[in-house]
Amino acid sequence: MLNINCPYCGDRSQKEFAYGGDATVKRPELNKEVSDEKWNEFIYLRKSPRGKHIELWHHIAGCRQWFKVQRDTVTHEIFKTAKMNEEIK
Amino acid sequence: MQKYSIFSLIKNAFSNHEKWDLAWKDPSPKKEYDVVIIGGGGHGLATAYYLAKEHKITNVAIIEKGWIGGGNIGRNTTIIRSNFMYDDNARFNEFGMNLWRNMSQELNFNVMFSPRGIINLAHSDAQMNAYARRGNSMRLNGIDAVLLNREEIKKIIPMADFSEDVRYPIFGGLAQPSAGTARHDAVAWGYARQADSMGVDIIQNCEVTGFDVSGGKIQGVRTSRGDIKTKKIGLCVAGSTNVLAEKLNITLPIETHLLQACVSEPVKPVLDGVVTFGAGHFYISQSDKGEMVMGGDLDGYNSYAQKGNLPTIQHVLTGGIALFPFLSRLKMLRTWGGIMDMSMDGSPIIDKTHIDGLYLNCGWCYGGFKSVPSSGWTFAHTIAQDRVHELNEGFSLNRFAKGYLLDEKGLGTKTWIS
Amino acid sequence: MSQSYRLKNEGLINRNKEIIFKFNGKKYKGYEGDTLASALLANGVHLVGRSFKYHRPRGFFGAGVDEPNAKLQIQLNGHSEPNVNATEFELVEGVEASSQNCWPSVEFDIGAVNNFLNRFFPAGFYYKTFMWPKSFWYKIYEPFIRKAAGLGIASVEKDKERYEHKYEYCDLLVTGSGPAGLSSAYSAAKNGAKVILAEDKPRFGGSLLTDDVTIDNLSGKDWADKIITELKEMPNVIVKNRSQVFGYYDHNMMVMFERTGDHLNDKPKYTPRQRLWYVRAKEVLLSTGSIERPIVFGNNDTPGVFLSAAAKEYIKVYGVLVGKKPLIFTNNDSAYETALEFKKQGIEPIILDTREEQSSELINSAKNQNIQIKFCHAVIAANGYKKVRSAQIGKLNKEKTGFENIQTIECDCICVSGFWTPTVHLASQSGNKLKFNDDIDAFIPDKSKQNEKSVGASNGTFTLKKTLEDGFKTGFEVSKNITNNNISTSTPNSNETKKSVHDKFWCSPLPNGKNYKRFVDFQNDVAVSDIEVALREGYRSIEHVKRYTTLGMATDQGRTSNLNGLQLVANVEKKIVPQVGHTTFRPPFTPITIGTIVGREIDMEYMPTRKTPMHTWHEKNNAVFVDAGAWKRPRYYKQGNESLFEASKREAKNVRDHVGICDVTTLGKIDIKGPDSAEFLNRVYTNAWLKLPIGKARYGVMLREDGIVMDDGTTTRISENHYHMTTTTAQAANVLSHLEYYLQIVWPELNVNVISTTEQWAGAALAGPKSRDVLAKLFPNLDVTNESLPFMGYMEGDLFGVKARIFRISFSGELAYEINVESDYGLYMWEKMIEIGKEFNIQPYGTEALSTLRIEMGHVAGPELDGRTIPYDVSLEGLLSKKKDFIGKRSLQKEAFNKNDRQKIVGLVPTDKKSSIPEGSHLVLDKNAKLPNPKLGHVSSSCWSVENNNPFSLAIVKDGKNMIGKKLFAVSPLKNTAIEVEIISSHYVDHEGKRVRS
Repeated sequence: MLNINCPYCGDRSQKEFAYGGDATVKRPELNKEVSDEKWNEFIYLRKSPRGKHIELWHHIAGCRQWFKVQRDTVTHEIFKTAKMNEEIK
Repeated sequence: MQKYSIFSLIKNAFSNHEKWDLAWKDPSPKKEYDVVIIGGGGHGLATAYYLAKEHKITNVAIIEKGWIGGGNIGRNTTIIRSNFMYDDNARFNEFGMNLWRNMSQELNFNVMFSPRGIINLAHSDAQMNAYARRGNSMRLNGIDAVLLNREEIKKIIPMADFSEDVRYPIFGGLAQPSAGTARHDAVAWGYARQADSMGVDIIQNCEVTGFDVSGGKIQGVRTSRGDIKTKKIGLCVAGSTNVLAEKLNITLPIETHLLQACVSEPVKPVLDGVVTFGAGHFYISQSDKGEMVMGGDLDGYNSYAQKGNLPTIQHVLTGGIALFPFLSRLKMLRTWGGIMDMSMDGSPIIDKTHIDGLYLNCGWCYGGFKSVPSSGWTFAHTIAQDRVHELNEGFSLNRFAKGYLLDEKGLGTKTWIS
Repeated sequence: MSQSYRLKNEGLINRNKEIIFKFNGKKYKGYEGDTLASALLANGVHLVGRSFKYHRPRGFFGAGVDEPNAKLQIQLNGHSEPNVNATEFELVEGVEASSQNCWPSVEFDIGAVNNFLNRFFPAGFYYKTFMWPKSFWYKIYEPFIRKAAGLGIASVEKDKERYEHKYEYCDLLVTGSGPAGLSSAYSAAKNGAKVILAEDKPRFGGSLLTDDVTIDNLSGKDWADKIITELKEMPNVIVKNRSQVFGYYDHNMMVMFERTGDHLNDKPKYTPRQRLWYVRAKEVLLSTGSIERPIVFGNNDTPGVFLSAAAKEYIKVYGVLVGKKPLIFTNNDSAYETALEFKKQGIEPIILDTREEQSSELINSAKNQNIQIKFCHAVIAANGYKKVRSAQIGKLNKEKTGFENIQTIECDCICVSGFWTPTVHLASQSGNKLKFNDDIDAFIPDKSKQNEKSVGASNGTFTLKKTLEDGFKTGFEVSKNITNNNISTSTPNSNETKKSVHDKFWCSPLPNGKNYKRFVDFQNDVAVSDIEVALREGYRSIEHVKRYTTLGMATDQGRTSNLNGLQLVANVEKKIVPQVGHTTFRPPFTPITIGTIVGREIDMEYMPTRKTPMHTWHEKNNAVFVDAGAWKRPRYYKQGNESLFEASKREAKNVRDHVGICDVTTLGKIDIKGPDSAEFLNRVYTNAWLKLPIGKARYGVMLREDGIVMDDGTTTRISENHYHMTTTTAQAANVLSHLEYYLQIVWPELNVNVISTTEQWAGAALAGPKSRDVLAKLFPNLDVTNESLPFMGYMEGDLFGVKARIFRISFSGELAYEINVESDYGLYMWEKMIEIGKEFNIQPYGTEALSTLRIEMGHVAGPELDGRTIPYDVSLEGLLSKKKDFIGKRSLQKEAFNKNDRQKIVGLVPTDKKSSIPEGSHLVLDKNAKLPNPKLGHVSSSCWSVENNNPFSLAIVKDGKNMIGKKLFAVSPLKNTAIEVEIISSHYVDHEGKRVRS
């Protein structure tokens, strides 16, 4: 069971959280023309690297905040967690 | 090639089994091949076999990073079925069922395919209706399916929880009697042995480090054991598809996830077929060795680790006891994990790509084992003819963009929710 | 025969408490503190089982988790349990054990015929045969193999035992209470760390219980007792015996199982049988010790062959002799300790040492005690079928590849030692890549990937002095980093016998012309010849060898066989062991009871049960419940002998004719507040939301970004910046997460807050032509006329002193209202409504009638919104705003979604107006067409129309918009039905929607 440091609540066990996938996906802006290609990229294409991955988690059994986690997809080591408005480089 | 039979076994017994041939050779890579298959798992080995057998293309190399059969072909729970709702999935896998039925004889290797049947249990009328929709669709596709009521289920699995003290009682279920199981390693070895005998080079401990693409065409592949020229590459590396796709600058509608399974200690036969629980993530069968083979849910986050965490196993086994309370007293012997290509609609991709000579076979989610023969057969056709076969037409890469999704579960793109 | 192998004075068992037990039907006596194994050995019982493949007689080999053979079926307290390890099972009163995998008995087992045919069963033989004729595999061969395989018999009875879970956090978890574990736990605890010390065995001390050592001038055992006593008194320490840490998971999550009740003769009612501990440890100290590995020789599986350390443990811990004429076979010094223990008990052992004649402290003391030692000797084979009666031994040639002279010597047991293998399972599980240590011919941990360290034998350290030094030092250093304290504990003096270097000899060669089975893996019957066959056939990777021969795949997971297997592969392949590599160590370390892993979430507690505030009323009024996710909802209220069909028809008809009341508490409810709420809803829903007036409700549909309908429901504007959203019961949690996702990630600039209020409000739907009459009486002070409270209107009112929200919305298609009160008043509201509604013939209705009503009206629900339909498919395209953007809009341009013959929802009526159409039927042109018969669509929902008194269904059909008026067949091959149907509009009742507005 992962141990996740919620940027709002602190260290918690994984079972309080829900996963949200690739955090680098950007929704195209509303009311703007989007090409088929860009739109399908947004819907279906995800980063799924072997190694460092920036992903979303949702503290559903806690503060209910979505936030970002940088985690290694091979070792599962978590390097950083950050609020949505913070950058993970 | 030596023929395996009871007679050859007896004969060899008298020479102390010292005269058995190699099941497959261990060659070094040649400079050039007509086709290079990347990935010595079930799909890659089957593809090479059918390239040689059906299309007489034998100047083929299978290159494998580790040892053949070391990925999901050797880590799955060996279930073989064609109980799909969508025509594309159903017909593809039913075609495979026919290959399974003759596989031991065709490969002269006992893959132990047993049609012991699968039952998907339902715990509400709504679920029964959803299964009826699927089962009727199967029947109209010429696939066997039976809807069973509670009493009929009780006759087949009397040790399931039919008491009052149960959270989600069994209402009934959908069965496919012709579904079954097979010995997973034997499938890989059987295909390898035959492919090798027809001239395919099986090259182990050979890691792909890059691709040679120019003018939009495949020219070769770079490996830890040297560069290999080829005009055609078939990518059969489910679980690692994204890693290799990255080397080709391709992003695919696939996420990589971890799935665990476990077995109990071996016990005398108690369960004949495969049973899936309908009120939680759990399925079970009993191996010939006597182990209860159990699986269920993804660990639920992108992962390339072939090891998972206990809460997922706990979650799965909780479903197990809810269905079969007697499991409580058995002991869990071993857990393991495999890496899945989770596609965005839960169905696979077998297609050509925008790069000439690059063919994709991926996105098997957690259902790749059953499709090994049909996947190998259609992929070999796609590579040999440079066009998809009607059986894998639906598994195109552009179906996502165009909206022709094959979403058996109706879950959409959240691949981690299984 | 009564405990004739029990020593008079030796051992740690409680001789004051005699325990009677049965084995294979015969009564025996043992003592409290015995294992089943030690008690049987005390009685001279060695033959306990038969092997998996060849059914060869098997006895005890180890004294703990290393045991490969002695797996017994146990009957106790009415439970039967297979595959219990006799060397770990603590003897309790009344236990009945029996041998497994043999018939008719362990003494005479028909299956042993396999042993005489074993030359025909090399590794992987089953892949080469049983293929002809084809149908025989499944029908004949496989059933036979299945019956022969398996070990014990699984009881299919429900397990009545209790299992519990516990969660702990600590600074340092120490796994194993040998000298390494005790010293590190002690020094860390003294330095203020929160420590958990876990010991798998009932007794603390590990090797200190059996080794002839002193620490601080105390015997090893006394020192261990002293330290444990101190640790137990420290408030920052948890000390647990019978507790095995079996898994090392991510982020230092350690999982341990504790045998809390198995050893108790009278277990108190609420004491669990076993307990699972999830322990999150800042640091983990692995002091798991080592396991002796055997030397491979002919017929080395014969009962009476033991690991030498096991033989010593039986003497020292249990006061039991495994034989009275022992032959000790070793390549190192440690077996001399066993010989000396025998000697102490007046037994004359003979030692065969594979090494050249040499001296060391232990060898000298054996010599001094006149123990016969034969250097450069090895056991070639054990003689005896069900028990060792002699051994064929020989003098090794110089290269140790053959024998110079061969003789037979009498013995009744062979105690073998091939040196020690560190127990690195947990270290490997943690991600630590192991490295091979040539000095000890075994793998030891390398660099840590998580916060773990190995100390002592598990790290390849085989001297007490160094182990204690490392233990005290590591415990201090690790704790210092956590507690910032600086209290160090000095390492006590210790005394031990010094040992000389071991010999790398691990397998006796076969003399010419001899073909003894030399087993590497006992339980799976994997012999040297099997591994040789595998390699010869090209199964060369160690994983291939493992899978082809099943080496190391038995229930003991190869604890005594793995390393010898690697040695053999390395020898044949002309490699060294580290080049061969090792197979993966996976949790659990030993098999774990599934009940323990699951804990208390069984039976009705498998999932939480959610009940509405009106649940008790429903129960009292004969409701038959249906599961809706975790919720229990009344499906119908049974009157007399009514069937589901009759009851739901009655309830639905009553709604259409009079008035009905339905518990709708389970609908998801979300409070939405903030100045940008309207804008937010406008983006989330497909229709327009900016101009919804205060006090009005609106129906909305939301999509996933891929264009598929996600959910529907009504949302009401309570005040300027306050909306009340409802969702379907099934999607409530998903919708909330979805809203939060967009607010927090995509559009953080919107000033909106959302929170679930599902549990805050109890809801009742009042539906039917008389509903307004009931409402008027419920709220006598309100004007509830059509003008004042029109369709989609909203009001707040006072329901006999309780604040209530009144929504004029309808799912049934009738004039209808939904009333919400705070949950605590739900039952009060419900009872008032029933009471007041009496004069208008009010009746409660359940989900079945609810379905009937909505299907007749053509309202879509779960079966239509199945995660695969777009708005057009379910005729919700009218709600797609052309003027604004919304979630999922862009996806609706996809090719498949805009095809001319796109599927669409329709209504179906059987042409005979009688035959009900089973849900899940498919629509076809020709019911008798050849398969595959092309499908035009499927039946999603069916009901008996109470309005028209005939069956009616909803279906989603290809080119639905052009199909109205056509006739097709609804076929259900599963139910053997083919019903001719006419396709009509999906709105079967009140097309124009007059009633809801009346």
